[in-house]
Amino acid sequence: MRLRIFTICCLLAALSTSAPAAEPPVRLIVKPLLCVLDKGATSCAMTFDVRWKSVLAAEYCLHDGAQPAPLRCWASARAGDLQQARQVGEEFNYWLTQPAGVQRLAEVKISVLRVDSADRRRERRTRHVWDVL
Amino acid sequence: MRNSVLKALLAMAAAGLFAGPPTARAQDAANLPASGPAAATVPVQLPPEHSWRLGVALGYGSRTNPLIQSDDIPVLVDVDIAWFGKRWFFDNGDLGFTAIDNRFLTANLMARVNSDRAFFSKTNTKYVTFARAGGGETPPAFGGTGGPLTEPVPLKPPRRDYAIEAGVEVLFGGEWGNATLRGFHDVSDKHDGYEVSADYEYRWTRGRWSLSPTVGVTYKDSKLSDYYWGVHASEASNVLFEFHPDGGLGWQAGLHTNYYMTKNLRLALSANYERLQHDIAQSPLVEQEYVFGYFAGFGWQF
Repeated sequence: MRLRIFTICCLLAALSTSAPAAEPPVRLIVKPLLCVLDKGATSCAMTFDVRWKSVLAAEYCLHDGAQPAPLRCWASARAGDLQQARQVGEEFNYWLTQPAGVQRLAEVKISVLRVDSADRRRERRTRHVWDVL
Repeated sequence: MRNSVLKALLAMAAAGLFAGPPTARAQDAANLPASGPAAATVPVQLPPEHSWRLGVALGYGSRTNPLIQSDDIPVLVDVDIAWFGKRWFFDNGDLGFTAIDNRFLTANLMARVNSDRAFFSKTNTKYVTFARAGGGETPPAFGGTGGPLTEPVPLKPPRRDYAIEAGVEVLFGGEWGNATLRGFHDVSDKHDGYEVSADYEYRWTRGRWSLSPTVGVTYKDSKLSDYYWGVHASEASNVLFEFHPDGGLGWQAGLHTNYYMTKNLRLALSANYERLQHDIAQSPLVEQEYVFGYFAGFGWQF
């Protein structure tokens, strides 16, 4: 019995003193992440809310796939945000770099989902007992 | 009636004869020159699609069973397996060959398993002292001596077989929605009957939501109706009267909603109401004149 209590106490102590999950040095959060396209639609009109934060204050630049130049750079900052309205017709990424480097410190993918099809057979609705979707 | 309906379907299919294979339509659309304001006429460039479509949905749902002494059909897992080739395709149990595909319609030669049989897999035996008449009536049952039954006797819906059906399916689609015409005939020597149906679906997509109402009508002939839903002479008893339904028209309406959480994951909500044709609803085998199905869950598209 004592051994069991001791084991539980050790486990609790280990849990309480263990280091928290390592936080990534740079976090990039973008909303929304998905554009849904249906018949006749070529793009979604979306307004992206882009936020980032870092454990180190430094100069950071935000990029997207549309142009080689950064969308915006922040000097000696730990966090930043940007709102961007754009038409989205295909997948692209937002990513953060430091001006001197090409390494992507954090990256987020914006996905495009087509729910229609050029093939009418893919739009047919089957009527089996298991098919209620 | 049977021949005329099938002839009409074949004639509609023949209207698009000599059209190119299915993939040609998308290419044609993509190559159309713009003839008006660019925003209105620029064709949508659709990316190439995989031949396979694999998906699974997990959640909770049910489909009522209109048969007497039967259990509803639970729907906890819904599997979507389909393969689309240039002409041949397989779609969740349906096997098809695309004979015609053009800008107006797609006509497929099809083989499928009849879905009425599914209800007969979830039946039970009960001991009763009353009789099953048409229209859901349950008068007292009488024994061989002419007096009312005092000892309960077993009552179970009769056994039915799966039927393989072959037919023609014509698909129409556009900005106005999707419509389907189907005609199928038994080729497995089970009921020797036929079924003709017409369905329409429209899908609205706003943001991550899509909403699709559907409506449809189905005509089942007397042979098909009698095989599955009739009480044959050899099956009639003191508690189950002989009954032979005629052909007739049933209808269905449904609503399907998706909320796309990611490119692969979606929340799916679905409900469907099917009204059985009048003669089938009058059968002693039928307790409910409708079939109601619903499902709520998460779907994953691979």
